Amino acid sequence: MVKRRRAGETGTGRGQRGLDRRPDLGDNPGQIHRGVCLDLQKGRPIMTTLNFRARVPVFDANIGVGHLRNRASPFESPEQLLGEMDRHGVARALIYHLEGEAMSALEGNERLLSWVDGQSALHPQWVADPTPESLAQLQQLHPPGQLTSVRLHNTRDCGLPFVDWIYGELLEWLAAERIPLWLSLADTPAVEARETLRRFPDLVTVLLGAHYIHSLIVVPLLRQLPRAHLELSRYEGLGKIPPLIGEFGIRRLVYGSFYPRYAMGPMLFSLHHLGLETSDLELLCSGNLERILKEGEDR
Amino acid sequence: MIAGTRVIDFHGHVGRWDGTGMRDDPDEMLRAMDAVGIDQSCLFNIFHPDGRTGNDLTARFVKRHPDRFIGFAYVSPLMPDTMEPELERAVDHLGMRAIKIYPSYTPFPLDHPAWDPVYDFAHRRGLVIITHTGIEPTTAPRFLSQVAPRFPGARFVAGHAGNVEPFRAQAIRAALTCPNVFLETCSSFRSPGVVEELVQKAGAERVLYGSDTPLMDPRCQIGKILTADIGDQAKRLILGENACRLLGI
Repeated sequence: MVKRRRAGETGTGRGQRGLDRRPDLGDNPGQIHRGVCLDLQKGRPIMTTLNFRARVPVFDANIGVGHLRNRASPFESPEQLLGEMDRHGVARALIYHLEGEAMSALEGNERLLSWVDGQSALHPQWVADPTPESLAQLQQLHPPGQLTSVRLHNTRDCGLPFVDWIYGELLEWLAAERIPLWLSLADTPAVEARETLRRFPDLVTVLLGAHYIHSLIVVPLLRQLPRAHLELSRYEGLGKIPPLIGEFGIRRLVYGSFYPRYAMGPMLFSLHHLGLETSDLELLCSGNLERILKEGEDR
Repeated sequence: MIAGTRVIDFHGHVGRWDGTGMRDDPDEMLRAMDAVGIDQSCLFNIFHPDGRTGNDLTARFVKRHPDRFIGFAYVSPLMPDTMEPELERAVDHLGMRAIKIYPSYTPFPLDHPAWDPVYDFAHRRGLVIITHTGIEPTTAPRFLSQVAPRFPGARFVAGHAGNVEPFRAQAIRAALTCPNVFLETCSSFRSPGVVEELVQKAGAERVLYGSDTPLMDPRCQIGKILTADIGDQAKRLILGENACRLLGI
């Protein structure tokens, strides 16, 4: 059973759990506000704590569970995953099975069931490939109300181009049912993503895995795909996120950790230090994902 | 400053890499540093094999905010005749406090004699050398295990700490076998548990925070340290105390 911390409690280092540690203010005591105070001499903010925990509700849009054929996961159970989430103040997560993304959508989705059964904090995301069996599985899941989003399998791993004459039937059905699609830019060429998704203008998408190597792609791609959102787990070029907010608005951006490929905390910490208004930070960390899952973008 | 600890970012760049959107805008870099309490960033320009061109750009950049940026010298064995005189100029006249090398931009592995003039210079002067380490054939951290004992007066910092396995294990092994090898943390891979592993296996006193700014945002990279499951004293060492000791500041 995972013991939950209350909001505002700090994370702790190994061997220090449960200690009540007050922040060390050094020689510059100022007004403390969320772990930050102001250097009275230089006017710069001073971090007052060596630890971090989210200060807004967090709903992680990108967590994979299960082992990969070539990489063992650092956690083996929902309880272990919930423990890591709790350490960073992440309340909920959208999870998919890594086997589904890399090997078999059908089998991965079946394995996902045991991860979400009875876990209100873990929301299932089902993986799809372009086979009729995969679509049939999704259609079977849909009536019970379990299908709030779909993630495309790894097209690069199996050498499939992301084109409408292969994926058209799947994409048409998702658009008609208003089910959003998660698509990895790490695994899908941007040209294919742009060309194919433009043919399904009603389809809401979340583009994953953009890296600094995508810096010159992201802005034009979001312009081309008005119903696309950008998940931020790997998008860490200096100063790259505020211009996206300026041009596209906070509603087009979604926080995800890409755990366990990436550590869960660093990007969450970074987003908390962009200088965003709390209301915008809340949208980024949970509100936008809630909206996408509940209602597509604007239905 | 974080909780009374002076914070030094040990890995940053001067210069532009337009294909990745990287640009060395000092205001943007300072804004990110200020947002998370980074006092100083160590910077180098690795885009000019003559050394002089990049070192002059670094010196000019640092001069605008000398209390916030620390310049490191860069030279390349692609132009071997320039290496030693340029190191002397950069350290003695431009005030560079350490040396950066980047074997990926050369055909020479870290243990190739082409690098010996740099190592020897650092050995004689008691300087730090930070090198890129990772998957590229010239940058395997195992080379440090052979080089570092030959130049005990120099301190070697494995940039990215090898980045991924099996190179991270090589970097850790080098730190364990050579007291003058240190591990720096920046990496775009951000794998979970890496900072914890470095601390557990090599010791926190051998680990340095770095970000790769402005290629990567120092906020996210420092988040690796602050969200790691390690103790506060280990964080203080990694964030700045080790760097201050190495650089003598």
